[in-house]
Amino acid sequence: MLHEMSLNINGETYPVVVKSHDTLVRVLREQLGLTGTKVGCGNGECGACTVLFDGAPVNSCMVLAVEAQGHRIETVEGLSQGGDLHPLQKAFVEHNAVQCGFCTSGMLMSAKALLERNSHPTEQEVREALVGNLCRCTGYIRIVDAVLDVAEAGS
Amino acid sequence: MKEQTSNPVGKSVPRVDAFEKVTGAAKYVDDMAFGPTLLYGKIVHSPVAHALIKKIDASKALALPGVKAVVTGQDSPTLLGLYLKDRYIYAYDRVRYVGESVAGVVAISEEIAEQAAKLVEVEYELLPPVFDPYEGAKPDAPLLHPDLGKYEVVNFIFPEPGTNVSEHFRLRKGRVSDAGVSDEVWAQCATIVEDQYTLPQIQHAPIETHIAVAQWNPDGQVTLWAASQSPFAQRDLLAQSLGIPHGNMRVISPYIGGGFGGKAGISIEANVVLMAKAVPGHPVKVRMTREEEFVATNVRQSLVAKYKIGCDKDGNLLAMDLAYYFGGGAYNDYGVNIARAAGYSCTGPYDVPNVKGDSYCVYTNHPIGSAMRGFGMPEIHWGLEQIMDRLAEAIGMDAADFKRQNCVRQGDTILTGMTMPNVDLPQCIDKVKEAIGWGRVSKPSAPHKRRGKGLAIMWKAPAMPPNPGSSAIVRFNEDATLNVYVSGQEIGQGAFTVAAQMAAEALGIPYEWVRVSANPVDTKYSPYEWQTVASRLTWSMGNAVKAAAEHARGQILDIVAKYWGEDPADLDIKNGVVISYKSEREQSLKKMVVYGLPNENFEGWQGGPIVGSGKFMPTYVTGLDPNTGQGARAVVHYTVGAQAVDLEVDTDTGQIEVLKIASAYDVGKAINPDLVMTQIEGGAVHGLSSAFEGMFFDAQGRLRNPSFVDYKLATSLDAPREIHGDIVETPLEDGPWGARGVGEHVMVQTAPAIANALYNALGVRFNHLPLSAEKVYLATHEGEELTCKA
Amino acid sequence: MRPFDYYRPETFEEAFRLLTLPDKRVMPLAGATDLIPMVRDEHWQPDVVVDVKGLPGMCDVVEMPEGLIVGAAVRMVELMHHPLVNSPRWNLLAQAAAAMGNEQVRNRATLGGNLCTASPAADSAPALLTLEAKAVIRGAAGERRVPITEFFLGPRKTALQKGELLIGVLIPAPPVGAVGTYVKLSRRKAGDLAIVGVAALAYPHDGGHVWCLALGAVAPTPIRASEAEAALNAGHDEATIEHATKCAFDACCPIDDIRASAEYRKAMVSRIARRAIEGVLAKLP
Ligand SMILES: Cc1cc2nc3c(=O)[nH]c(=O)nc-3n(C[C@H](O)[C@H](O)[C@H](O)COP(=O)(O)OP(=O)(O)OC[C@H]3O[C@@H](n4cnc5c(N)ncnc54)[C@H](O)[C@@H]3O)c2cc1C
Ligand code: FES
Ligand code: FES
Repeated sequence: MLHEMSLNINGETYPVVVKSHDTLVRVLREQLGLTGTKVGCGNGECGACTVLFDGAPVNSCMVLAVEAQGHRIETVEGLSQGGDLHPLQKAFVEHNAVQCGFCTSGMLMSAKALLERNSHPTEQEVREALVGNLCRCTGYIRIVDAVLDVAEAGS
Repeated sequence: MKEQTSNPVGKSVPRVDAFEKVTGAAKYVDDMAFGPTLLYGKIVHSPVAHALIKKIDASKALALPGVKAVVTGQDSPTLLGLYLKDRYIYAYDRVRYVGESVAGVVAISEEIAEQAAKLVEVEYELLPPVFDPYEGAKPDAPLLHPDLGKYEVVNFIFPEPGTNVSEHFRLRKGRVSDAGVSDEVWAQCATIVEDQYTLPQIQHAPIETHIAVAQWNPDGQVTLWAASQSPFAQRDLLAQSLGIPHGNMRVISPYIGGGFGGKAGISIEANVVLMAKAVPGHPVKVRMTREEEFVATNVRQSLVAKYKIGCDKDGNLLAMDLAYYFGGGAYNDYGVNIARAAGYSCTGPYDVPNVKGDSYCVYTNHPIGSAMRGFGMPEIHWGLEQIMDRLAEAIGMDAADFKRQNCVRQGDTILTGMTMPNVDLPQCIDKVKEAIGWGRVSKPSAPHKRRGKGLAIMWKAPAMPPNPGSSAIVRFNEDATLNVYVSGQEIGQGAFTVAAQMAAEALGIPYEWVRVSANPVDTKYSPYEWQTVASRLTWSMGNAVKAAAEHARGQILDIVAKYWGEDPADLDIKNGVVISYKSEREQSLKKMVVYGLPNENFEGWQGGPIVGSGKFMPTYVTGLDPNTGQGARAVVHYTVGAQAVDLEVDTDTGQIEVLKIASAYDVGKAINPDLVMTQIEGGAVHGLSSAFEGMFFDAQGRLRNPSFVDYKLATSLDAPREIHGDIVETPLEDGPWGARGVGEHVMVQTAPAIANALYNALGVRFNHLPLSAEKVYLATHEGEELTCKA
Repeated sequence: MRPFDYYRPETFEEAFRLLTLPDKRVMPLAGATDLIPMVRDEHWQPDVVVDVKGLPGMCDVVEMPEGLIVGAAVRMVELMHHPLVNSPRWNLLAQAAAAMGNEQVRNRATLGGNLCTASPAADSAPALLTLEAKAVIRGAAGERRVPITEFFLGPRKTALQKGELLIGVLIPAPPVGAVGTYVKLSRRKAGDLAIVGVAALAYPHDGGHVWCLALGAVAPTPIRASEAEAALNAGHDEATIEHATKCAFDACCPIDDIRASAEYRKAMVSRIARRAIEGVLAKLP
């Protein structure tokens, strides 16, 4: 079954035609070319596909694209504004919080949502917020430090 | 260009790939566009562990609308392998593990391919399976590879046809025979520990699963896009196996979402190439689901290890009798060299006068065991590093002192007869002892908890053929920015960044002027690199980059020297400017590195676009005696290190919390200290995670936990809050600026360090990985009545 | 993923019409966190999915004289932060919601989906058992209420009939002074399914306390441990607690699975029950 609809992604409106069973990540990546969002399991377990859905992190492999109609979707591509990196992106670069980079987009989105609802998280809160984002490379420590750094700078 | 970092070697300059990765712009294979002619492939996997293939009927699959082709082993019974050609690309007459590729379906969409794959009917005649490597090595075990004697094999691997042993490495040193270490030596031992340790297969679990796209054009040009640590090795293997001229076989590999060895050598790529051959002109994409990644790509081998080790009353190691049975899985094309590496390094980082070591790679009906970070070393250190603690305890010595006393030192004649190159393991031990507060007892956070500390040391050599080569090209642009061409893969370790640092340093230009042109690596345009494995890039690729930069530098100095009428020996390049120490003249590199310089009075020009090339290949590794493992130089070098762990155990539940890991590694020279630290941190958590990971199979050889639901990686909450790292720098003779690799070493001994800490906390030893709260609990509550009424 | 059709009805009439489409396998869809993996792995093969999130009342939390009505499509993240759910009376449910999965999952997963999947390890179930909630079920024929103890029939089996929806749960307000604790043991610190989950609740009564204790992941369905409750109702001295945990242990009949052996689960039931009981005791005035 096809659905003609529009998606609001990073503030832009994209008219799309999707199949009922298309996941949001599939439409983002394969129809709209927004390939910054990654797929690591397709099963809700790794967080590589994390996007913000009305500001809240969700696994876009576990959301049907048709469900996204009328909601605000944010992806990694929308983070940097006007050529400037988002403070989280800057902090990830400065802290060497990136290795292979495959978890990075999802990590950034989870971190953004965290800081938006809690501008001064503790280390424990940061680690809890990132528990759904697996990273096989970094050991998490730099990622956590980068997020804490941005929180502190924001104070 | 705001910042200008001159002499970047040794400085923690930012990664060259970070910007692309934090913006989502970095392209991985699945992010590349292949246009409307793209087709999708799906592999039909064997549902049984060991069987003869009686019949394959693809007619129903082919009849499904949208299906373009089905390929099977009958189409092209081609053997494949890096060290031992023992694997058909698609199973030919027999399957040897659940997950083996039996057929490949190509269709216009992934859904249709998936559906069609289910319609391929295969008739199997079951054969008895072999799952345990120790049992499998016995002469009466069911044979997996009756043709073992006919397979093509490199000259340093020794299969035993008629058995399941695909490699048998023998190490004999001192007073030993094939029967064992001499009784007289054992008689001198004050204490002997004899025990068995085992490890299950585990998976690399990179967050990006395997993916490949192939296109076979009617004119014979074949292109493969793959998430690959080994584009050149894959080109070579494919060209050899499929009879494609190397020049027609092109492999393109962009960024990789984690490799850890799993994307080294070859796995599904050849299958995809054969699918593409069936639909000429169309690119065909195959991406592994996470479930397929677990069973149908590579895994780390399992191990059954038998140790008998003795020392005298003063704590001097006297003898080791070691037998390692690696569960190599169904095909050992790569795994044989892991058993070999475990054989020539079988003692671990210890100086032992009498050693009998036998390391076997054994075929089993499990997934294909292959390269994984550490390449045999995490496996053998698991038991070794616990037994060292047990010996120390038995003679009343501190475990760290015991290890320090016995560990290899520069100049030692080590087990293979080779002289130990320059490293400082005692210093690594001292550093981690200090960082962890060795000997100080910490207070548990609750009455039902226990604290414990443990320490383990390691060594590892790059395990490779004797002559793996690297090459590099540097090329200047008009504004004196420089492009560096390498084919070492950026798998997260920072290879591109150190390549840029070394090129800048060797040329005398700022780091910010360098661009790395290696994304993607393209065998059509990129210089040769053997593989991104063995922690060899910083050293080997680094040497090639340095040579290329020096080549370019030489050309520049010659031109300027001629222009000034000076001796090139008096000139230097500093911060992008050629200077003369003699005349104090200066010449900017800008423009001249492309346009050259005019002769005086404009009578002609000299110079021209500067391109430097460089190569490196170790030339000094010798063969080893097949009966004794002795030879002048078994390996290029060793990297060594120590790790210590501080943990807390909940005695009510058995839950383990690793609070801190301290590591110290001798990297020779940290080209980028912060990148070394990120390896140390990531490796410690990878090592920690691996201690709790296991692939669990049922009695039919089917994997019971093929997803992250039940194959658990450490999360941000499981990782220790504190990871301390110390970098020791004892320069390597032939390393660029003294550097040697450290990518794998950082996880080798984490599991035994944890086990030693558990012993310290609980007084209980664990011989079998994985660890779990359940295991700890049951081991500490033996005899508890657990029958309930319901 | 196997194709299916998606509908998002806004009335119950339309929903029930869709749910009873002839010759179609139709499944309700809420947060999809169980449904998508199950469809991906082809354990479930719906031809049609009916999104229940647009139905009236499904996403609401309202206080009624009989108790709190939580719509079936209310998400875990909402349970965690909703002022009524998070009030002293029903806070146990908020604790259970917080123990579930990870942030991304809690932002999608619904209470109804958790109950309808009927996993023995469902984290919301023990809390609802101790709170003596009722499942509010609606079908074309009307509405019925089923005590949560009777809602679960076995692993992945519920009292729902074909064409029926769970529209919410009714949670009576426990007596004033009630406090509860949910304790979950799993292989990893978070983001993992329960090996054992225990909810405990107590409220003052007649100078003593009345206890409710429920166990998850140790039997084919989540269960109440009534003997343990009876023991605790008599007092909270160490010997009684010990006896109560033994009763909880005797109430369970776990299986071996990939996450834990039956043996370990049994050993942990009494340990985790003790933690839950002690957690409640620490909160009792
Ligand atoms: C990474 C991950 C971690 C998880 N961790 C946990 C955990 O720790 N604890 C835990 O308990 N669960 C866990 N789960 C499982 C799952 O998230 C929960 O069971 C969740 O509550 C299901 O809700 P849902 O809204 O997503 O259900 P859906 O997937 O939408 O539906 C689940 C089932 O219920 C049916 N259904 C849904 N709503 C209704 C209704 N109103 N009426 C009738 N039938 C209905 C559907 O048809 C389907 O059969 C986890 C899942 C993932 C992916
Ligand atoms: S890809 Fe969506 S959670 Fe892993
Ligand atoms: S950086 Fe590789 S998975 Fe996180």
